[in-house]
Amino acid sequence: MAIRGTALQAVADVADDGAEAAPSSQSSPNRVRIIDATLSCLALHGTSKTTVDDIARRAGVSRATVYRVFPGGRDEVLGAVVDTEMARLFSALGVRLGEASDLTEALVGGIVEASARIRGHAALAYMVEHEPEMVLGHLAFDESDRLLATASRFTAPFLARWMSPMEAGRVAEWATRIVLSYAIAPSSQMDLTQPAQTAHLVETFVLPGIRALHAADSPTAIDITPFEQGCGQPDQRAVRGAADGRPITPAAVHHQSSEYSNAVEHYKGAMT
Amino acid sequence: MADTRQRILEATYACVARWGLAKTSVEDAAREAKVSRATVYRVFPGGREELISAVVAWATLEFFIRLYEQVQGATSLEQVMERGIMFAHRSIVEDEVLQRVMQTEPEKLLPTLTFESIRIRQGIAEFLVPYLEQRGVAQGVDLKEAADFLARMVLSYMSAPGRWDLDDPGQVAQLVRAELLAGVVADPGLDAGPHR
Repeated sequence: MAIRGTALQAVADVADDGAEAAPSSQSSPNRVRIIDATLSCLALHGTSKTTVDDIARRAGVSRATVYRVFPGGRDEVLGAVVDTEMARLFSALGVRLGEASDLTEALVGGIVEASARIRGHAALAYMVEHEPEMVLGHLAFDESDRLLATASRFTAPFLARWMSPMEAGRVAEWATRIVLSYAIAPSSQMDLTQPAQTAHLVETFVLPGIRALHAADSPTAIDITPFEQGCGQPDQRAVRGAADGRPITPAAVHHQSSEYSNAVEHYKGAMT
Repeated sequence: MADTRQRILEATYACVARWGLAKTSVEDAAREAKVSRATVYRVFPGGREELISAVVAWATLEFFIRLYEQVQGATSLEQVMERGIMFAHRSIVEDEVLQRVMQTEPEKLLPTLTFESIRIRQGIAEFLVPYLEQRGVAQGVDLKEAADFLARMVLSYMSAPGRWDLDDPGQVAQLVRAELLAGVVADPGLDAGPHR
């Protein structure tokens, strides 16, 4: 969680009472401090036993400060935690996918990044163990479809540098299924937080599947040399922002999609 | 004893179908099965909690017995996977009890179902192994690893179809033959692409 550490350090440098004058600011130091304190509480006690008092104590602020930054109290803090953690996950994912220079690197990097963040998330781990009903509901049937759609709509534009938007959507969804399957039920043989094992899985099962899908979809135009050779030349059909082959920023993708903010609202609601 | 157990489980399932998981009590199950409460506790010493877990496990097993019957007689790996995914998807969508419990009290069902899914995955993988052996896996592909991967994907698609229309045989053929099996089998080219 290097990003969290850096963010905390940065806000700690400027944290003082004066900062509380603008509590509505998204980057208010107390806001970040309270959110990270809440994550620590969730990792120790879960959602049901975490109170505003616990959060304030751990953040080293007063109850009044928590309510000044989050007038809605506990529910609003929990919602902000979901919002922040989704943004942290997808930003990190966006950086990895945006920097990749070929499709293999994007798939392996994206799967490892997401798997490692899910595995290393202490609050999530506590909830899976002690409050499974809070988490499992998002992973089954219709809700699983929603999660697949949210994650694959975010990641597809990055993959569309090497294939058509439709193919990118399928591949993004497939990669999301793989991450979720091994996160819910870890395998003793295949650890997707490890780049070498993930590369093996991607090269053995995923890349041949992508080639075969491409061939089945457009039997006349089988030109997938860009990702075969890993030269990273973007597909002409790629999404806006990616067509010049430059890394895409997570922010650019966020702005393309109001679906992302709808998803955030959905998962915030589910926490409270 | 086995008969009594079966009778209690069927009765409990009928109660769950009527009232849901939360409102089904040991008394309800006993009355429906026409046995005494003491008998239910003799078979399920853990009482209500054990009974509810057992009925989820039982309904899941029943589902997989039907799935197994459905793919019997399939002659190839491709056919087994296509028939299996289509049947499983349709059964889940049309299962009124499952759908209602998922709507109203998913938190009561999902911990047990998730636990069961591990056994289910192992079952699917073991079932696929002989078909993979017969079909022949690609060079460098580990049979067990491939079976486990395919079982994970089958479970994923049957519970959440995502972008795929799993009622369309052409799409399912493409999903199975192109996406899922291209890296696994020895000669995907022979049988790749949907039959149209």
